[in-house]
Amino acid sequence: MNRHHALSNGYAAYPRGQGSTFSISPHRSFQPRPQPALRRRRQLFQRLCLIGGISIFILILIFPSWRAAIIPSLSLGLFSATEDLQIQTVRYYDLSQVQGSGSGWEQEERVLMLTPLRDASSHLPMFFSHLRNLTYPHNLIDLAFLVSDSKDDTLGMLSRMLEEIQNDPDPSMPYGEISVIQKDFGQKVTQDVESRHGFAAQAGRRKLMAQARNWLLSATLRPTHSWVYWRDADVQTAPFTIIEDLMRHDKDVIVPNVWRPLPDWLGGEQPYDLNSWQESETALALAETLDEDAVIVEGYAEYATWRPHLAYLRDPYGDPDMEMELDGVGGVSILAKARVFRAGVHFPAFSFEKHAETEGFGKMAKRMGFSVIGLPHYTIWHLYEPSVDDLRHMEEMEEERLAREKEEKEEADRAQRVQTLFRDTKTEWEIDNAFVKDAMQEDQAARKASEPLKDDVKAAVETPIAKPVKPGMPVEQNDPRAPGAAKPQRSKDTIESQEIPAMKHAKERIDGTYGEKPKQ
Amino acid sequence: MAVARTMRRTGPTTLLLATILALGFLFFVLTPSSSSAITDTGSVVSSQQREDAADNILSPPTKPFVKAQSVREDGHIAPPPVIHYNLNSLTSTSDSASMNERVLILTPLARFYQGFWDNVAKLNYPHELVSIGFIIPNTKDGNTAAAALEEAISKTQSGPIGSRFASISILRQDFEPPLQSQDEKERHKMTNQKERRESMSRARNSLVFTTLGPSTSWVLWLDSDIVETPNTLIQDLTSHNRPIIVPNCYQRYYNNDKKAMDTRPYDYNSWIDSPTAQALADSMEPDEILLEGYAELPTYRTLMALLADTANPNPRREISLDGVGGTALMVKADVHRDGAMFPAFPFYHLVETEGFAKMAKRLGYEAYGLPDYFVYHYNE
Repeated sequence: MNRHHALSNGYAAYPRGQGSTFSISPHRSFQPRPQPALRRRRQLFQRLCLIGGISIFILILIFPSWRAAIIPSLSLGLFSATEDLQIQTVRYYDLSQVQGSGSGWEQEERVLMLTPLRDASSHLPMFFSHLRNLTYPHNLIDLAFLVSDSKDDTLGMLSRMLEEIQNDPDPSMPYGEISVIQKDFGQKVTQDVESRHGFAAQAGRRKLMAQARNWLLSATLRPTHSWVYWRDADVQTAPFTIIEDLMRHDKDVIVPNVWRPLPDWLGGEQPYDLNSWQESETALALAETLDEDAVIVEGYAEYATWRPHLAYLRDPYGDPDMEMELDGVGGVSILAKARVFRAGVHFPAFSFEKHAETEGFGKMAKRMGFSVIGLPHYTIWHLYEPSVDDLRHMEEMEEERLAREKEEKEEADRAQRVQTLFRDTKTEWEIDNAFVKDAMQEDQAARKASEPLKDDVKAAVETPIAKPVKPGMPVEQNDPRAPGAAKPQRSKDTIESQEIPAMKHAKERIDGTYGEKPKQ
Repeated sequence: MAVARTMRRTGPTTLLLATILALGFLFFVLTPSSSSAITDTGSVVSSQQREDAADNILSPPTKPFVKAQSVREDGHIAPPPVIHYNLNSLTSTSDSASMNERVLILTPLARFYQGFWDNVAKLNYPHELVSIGFIIPNTKDGNTAAAALEEAISKTQSGPIGSRFASISILRQDFEPPLQSQDEKERHKMTNQKERRESMSRARNSLVFTTLGPSTSWVLWLDSDIVETPNTLIQDLTSHNRPIIVPNCYQRYYNNDKKAMDTRPYDYNSWIDSPTAQALADSMEPDEILLEGYAELPTYRTLMALLADTANPNPRREISLDGVGGTALMVKADVHRDGAMFPAFPFYHLVETEGFAKMAKRLGYEAYGLPDYFVYHYNE
């Protein structure tokens, strides 16, 4: 082996320094060069890190409470910094940005929609169909519900329907913040209808309702809201654009007219919300005479106030934009600027200037210088729920109808029987007659074969003459119209006799109160 | 060769690293009690904070919220969730801290005093149960105050996790204050009082009705110039379990006669009604208001400020009141929820906090005062 020539051409792989004294042995020439200290200790570092990591890991497992101290120090604050960024604790709001304007949907103004509910599961499907149809941008509407003292499944049903609407595939369907608040106020007044609508119970009921409204409002009003819309669940028909329609007027508090449809026998329709009114001198004088805690409830004979009501001023063909100044408002559908509530106006659960709840709200808003407006010709329709009186009457009507049907049926039967009998006798008579005739004809044929002329004259006399009928004359003139004629007559009576119970029912609301129409 | 290698491994850098690690372990092992105590609360607070935090920015201002927005499967931003609040289980009891009852501190702020914030930060009610709301007028002075306040807040809210408050809301007022000058003399001029206090009422109402969350049990009204209270203020006031309770507001000053620091009564709005005041109110026009502490209108009401027994104080002594002051005022949230607010109009000839006491009374709540329990007002 050539030990001095690394390459085949005779040159050595390494230049020879001092002649032939190059004394590097071949194995030494392949030794690694001296390494830097760090590289040499890499293994050591790896081991140290591994041991350190394992021990910290074990320690964290043993003492979970150390995590908070160890993790930030190990990660040099990076981890905790991200955690801080995730949770925001300081919020900044400028209330002058949420004053509410006439075109809120363009200014992206948030609306808080509030609905108090009690035993309302039967109304919820209808209410949610209204919700889905509202044209105001849904993401700008925050919904809040107060479920109180409910014995049916209002809460469960509400939650299901809300989840459904929030998970709707249509991205414009889900609403903003949704709060469902449960609070029972204790039903101090019994639910039976007569006592509930008794005059004496009204003040207490109104105060309780006011309390519920205030709890709902105070828990859900946010500094981001420009408008607050109160809407009852039992509205049957309302324009989908109602929020925009009311907002357009740019008033502090605004209410539409509330009527309700009625069955035909009650007259077809009726004013519903009698809590929207203008103050009258009589009422002010009356208020003077009452004691501090008394509450004037509109629509009871005990308090004849002679106030002009928004409901009675409706003209179906009137201008829906017409405005009317009000002092008291009803709670079926109120649109108010959030600044009204921020200023402190609420639903007095005490007697405020002798009024409570929504009427007191109207009064207080007026007191603080806000505008309170009603739209007499812009109407929404409240659900018609038959009252006890109505139900009784309907039962009577049903009975009457059945009796009438039975009677008619009997009559028809009799007529048919008579007819059948008559036809039978006639037939028999005809048959008999036929036999007699045959016999007679045979006799006559045999006897009078010799007198044909006389027979001809007799036949001419017997020929029936056509009955003269004038085409323009009503054929059915004498047709018995007794049921039809009696009907309008009775229903007219009904309207008169039923008006008061019906009016009474108009005031029977779970969350509103209506008394009898004042005897004027 | 083998020996040299071991020697090389124990170079100075290695030794240093090993020592640091060993010291670190020793530190954790030897000081378990103190370190675990600190970190325990820290981790509890942080986990609780994460749990408490609302998922969406659309949430009550009394809650912190998670900034990250979740996204739906179809790529749209997930709509806010349906949230249930059961207010039937919301309590406000004498044992507030152990019942985890949430407190909302509300402060109408016109001027920022560092002493005020230091005092609030020192309150030892669990901070994760405390939310704070401020309302600041939209004026030049307000901007200065807001800037100073935000600086102080950001220090506290980025400090140790246990001393951070659950949430802080800063509101800017939407109406002009009637008086531009916050000067002491100008402010207390009687003719200006009605307007000033009506505007103050609106500010207070705006604050309480927008920040009162569905989980708040107590509301503490604390004026921005209260610079000294006992650290246990919240526990002490809630322990009486009264719907409305007000401590006595005094002021420290340099008494030139005694040549020493002394205290004197400051807030005269907490009083027990008198027949004279009643008669005076009856004779007034509906739009007039009856003010306390002005020589022009002697009411002869019994003032709580003058009932303090400074020689032999009993901080738990209660008296029943008809009017309350707002410098420091503890109210059960239910009272506000029922609708008790600060009338911005003459309500039985009373406005603001005095009118509030009257309205609460109309709703069936009683107000109480603690004549021997003191909070101190800033001395201008």
